[in-house]
Amino acid sequence: MAAANWPDKDDHELLTLIQDGSHHAFAELVKRHTERFYRLAYRYVQSKETAEDIVQDAFLKLWENPGTWQPERNNKFTTWFYRVVVNLCLDWQKKKRPVELPNEDIPLADEREPVDVAMIRLQEQRMLEKEIGALPERQRLALNLCFDEGLSNQEAAEVMGVNLKALQSLIMRAKITLKERMKAYL
Amino acid sequence: MSDKQDEKLEMLLRSRRATPASPELAARIILKAQGIPQVRATSFWQWLRQLCAEYHLPKPAYVLASALILGLVIGFSTAGDITSPADTNPINIQGFLYADEGPL
Repeated sequence: MAAANWPDKDDHELLTLIQDGSHHAFAELVKRHTERFYRLAYRYVQSKETAEDIVQDAFLKLWENPGTWQPERNNKFTTWFYRVVVNLCLDWQKKKRPVELPNEDIPLADEREPVDVAMIRLQEQRMLEKEIGALPERQRLALNLCFDEGLSNQEAAEVMGVNLKALQSLIMRAKITLKERMKAYL
Repeated sequence: MSDKQDEKLEMLLRSRRATPASPELAARIILKAQGIPQVRATSFWQWLRQLCAEYHLPKPAYVLASALILGLVIGFSTAGDITSPADTNPINIQGFLYADEGPL
């Protein structure tokens, strides 16, 4: 099959091909989604190396055992795979230590900002990361899925395996806590 | 809590940045997968489909087999209708056979 055709294929088609052993389809799927799943894992583990390892592990498990993806049971690949990545993050957390603040520098939102503004923003970001890290696990996941990944509330609820109301409640509680703890910065 | 605080918090949440992944992460995953064989767990239906594919017959064979099965089914289902209740009574048959042999 011509290489130019791969980006045109949707996730479902690629997964069917992966189940037939297609390395090209797997490569396309990995290129398409690595960044977004890395971001989610990074929010969880706060370490670039660990997040990369988790995403790699998740994709390799999919390759090794493509039968785990069952289109009739899982409607959307990304929703299902978010859950896979989250589960791997939780496993990692259970085995390892509590999440620490990132040792890498958080990139500034806009590098053209004046230095003082940029410093304040950096401070705010650091504080926010710290407070989000201190939130209960489910509240943190709900925030990450809705604000970072831009998932709709319904999709985020599906990833977390809760109903829509429960998700909205998690987000609301997380926001109330953050507002309380970030008073000085808001 | 004021709306202004809400807005600021939303803005902060939406402007969060993560350390980007290594540019070669995707390539690394793809490369690693090259050396890993796939495990193929086959369900019962997959196994049945494979079996059918293996013993694939030309269409006329299916038609013949279907006709044979249909014939057998029809044959068995109508077998009871051919014999009348009279046939099953041996006394009636005897009566019929000896009907003309009365005393002369």
